[in-house]
Amino acid sequence: MLPHRSRLSVLVFLAPPLLLFGGGVLLPIVQSLVLSFFEWDGITGLDFVGLENYRALLLHDDVFRTAFGNQLVYLVICLLLQVGGGLLVASLLMTITRGREVLKVLYLMPAVISTPAIALLFQRIYSFEPEGLVNTLLGAVGLDALARPWLSDVSTVLTAVSVPEGWRFLGLYTVILYAALLSVPRELEEAASLDGANAWQVFARIRFPHIMPVFVTTLIMATTYALRGFDIPFLLTNGGPGQASELVTTYMYKTAFTSGHYGSASAISVIIVLECLVAVGLILLVLRRKAD
Amino acid sequence: MTSAPLAPPVPAREAAPPAPGRRPPARRRRERPTGLRISRIVSRVLIAAVLVMQVYPFLWLLQTSLRDREDFAASNPFSIPTHLTLDNFSRAFEQGHLLRSILNSLIITGGACLLLVVCGMAGAYAIAVLGFRFSGLVRGLFLLGIVVPVQVALVPLFIDYSRIGMLDTHLSVMIPLAGFALPMALYLFLSFYSYIPRELYEAATLDGAGPYRIFARITLPMSWNTVVTVVMVNAIFIWNDFVFANTFILSEELKTIPLGLQDYVGAMGNTDWTATFAAVSITVTPLLLVFLVLNRAMIYGLESGASKG
Repeated sequence: MLPHRSRLSVLVFLAPPLLLFGGGVLLPIVQSLVLSFFEWDGITGLDFVGLENYRALLLHDDVFRTAFGNQLVYLVICLLLQVGGGLLVASLLMTITRGREVLKVLYLMPAVISTPAIALLFQRIYSFEPEGLVNTLLGAVGLDALARPWLSDVSTVLTAVSVPEGWRFLGLYTVILYAALLSVPRELEEAASLDGANAWQVFARIRFPHIMPVFVTTLIMATTYALRGFDIPFLLTNGGPGQASELVTTYMYKTAFTSGHYGSASAISVIIVLECLVAVGLILLVLRRKAD
Repeated sequence: MTSAPLAPPVPAREAAPPAPGRRPPARRRRERPTGLRISRIVSRVLIAAVLVMQVYPFLWLLQTSLRDREDFAASNPFSIPTHLTLDNFSRAFEQGHLLRSILNSLIITGGACLLLVVCGMAGAYAIAVLGFRFSGLVRGLFLLGIVVPVQVALVPLFIDYSRIGMLDTHLSVMIPLAGFALPMALYLFLSFYSYIPRELYEAATLDGAGPYRIFARITLPMSWNTVVTVVMVNAIFIWNDFVFANTFILSEELKTIPLGLQDYVGAMGNTDWTATFAAVSITVTPLLLVFLVLNRAMIYGLESGASKG
């Protein structure tokens, strides 16, 4: 704390960030919360309905329920690819000695591409007619029978829209987890392998416990990002066919900007915030306790 | 002179990785020769497979954009093209409004990054250097923003903007983009400012410098590396933003690159894939080049952001 600081100077420095954060983030959150208790089509007056929006969504809205289930599947696929895949690739990078810096950069490349570009790309990768990459590869290994229009087949579309998101940030989590693995003291690993521990034991007993705090952070990041995942499913299928790839986020967007039910959409967005908070709370509760 | 030992952590951190690279492979090989050799081969194959997975789609994109339209339609789209053409690029420029959307993206990214850096720096300075009674509370409030999903702001901001006539402006996209990125930026500045020793400020105060002078003479000049990190990490996300731009921007003239690409497909009726991929290549390449040059700052930001969180 500086000794000669005036109240005014604190205010001068604090005002811009508070204004930006207040106006761009905090105020909208409060507004969403308030609006979620109203029925509003954006034109006529606000109509106070209490918890009716939430009740209707949770009890009577089949689309919302489907979307919620789909979002969980989306979450699991993203976590497997990003955190699971990231941990695997980071561990693999530890086994080589040259080219690790270059590989890190190349692995990160998909994170730089915008989501509409990724959506265009995957539209072609999944396409059936003309034959896309996935179907070509299946044909090449003699699995023609599995070839299908991945984005219009109800049974595959949800996985198909989840994978690009997982793929896109695999490199990101690899880089973060790799940095953490590097910080594990060499002496510990060497002592363990001298005592006859195999690679898996070194990982499970030494490395993983050591990187636990970073792992928890990446898990929180990946989970909250997946719970708000929107762009790629919205662009690839817009929730279709039917509601097969509808996520809570795409449903919220449609409820607001297609159907014009702003109150109900606000209730959904509040639920998305709650999902994130609950998920973070669960992760901390389960993993922190384990770590202690 | 004073800044030498405080040289911001970017180079120090980057210098670290090579050292632990030397593992004791010789000894291990003696212990379990065949098993280890196999596991080494497997791990290298996997590393290469992941590399192909992460890089190939991009190469395919470039290759398709250089391919003849008829050739692309007629043959297997994943075969190597027989001859290359720049035709698609001229069609991409003719039919879309690439330059205009690039300009819009530049304005929004520049503006949002400026807002973000100014607010992040000022906020971190007020919290970490000046200090005030409820600084812990304010810090917590900002950091809470890291987990808030952007969707929650869409409806209220849309309504607010249309009330005050700010809908469909560059600023309407910049504010939430910078606002939602602020917690992370503030955090990076806070953690960097904690490296600046108190004595430096005390000495400046004894010399009669006030809070503004100290900021301008000490804190700001030492912050540049962190500024680069903050800008690199966020510029990519801001440049690629789809959801805010898609919601708040309505007129053709203000469309950013991600929105412009969307248009493309509609305008060309899904048929002119090679021109579409040419447009995608044009919009991805500049960012990718910047990334390939400045990736150290970005990777550092990502690593430190997560490991200190």
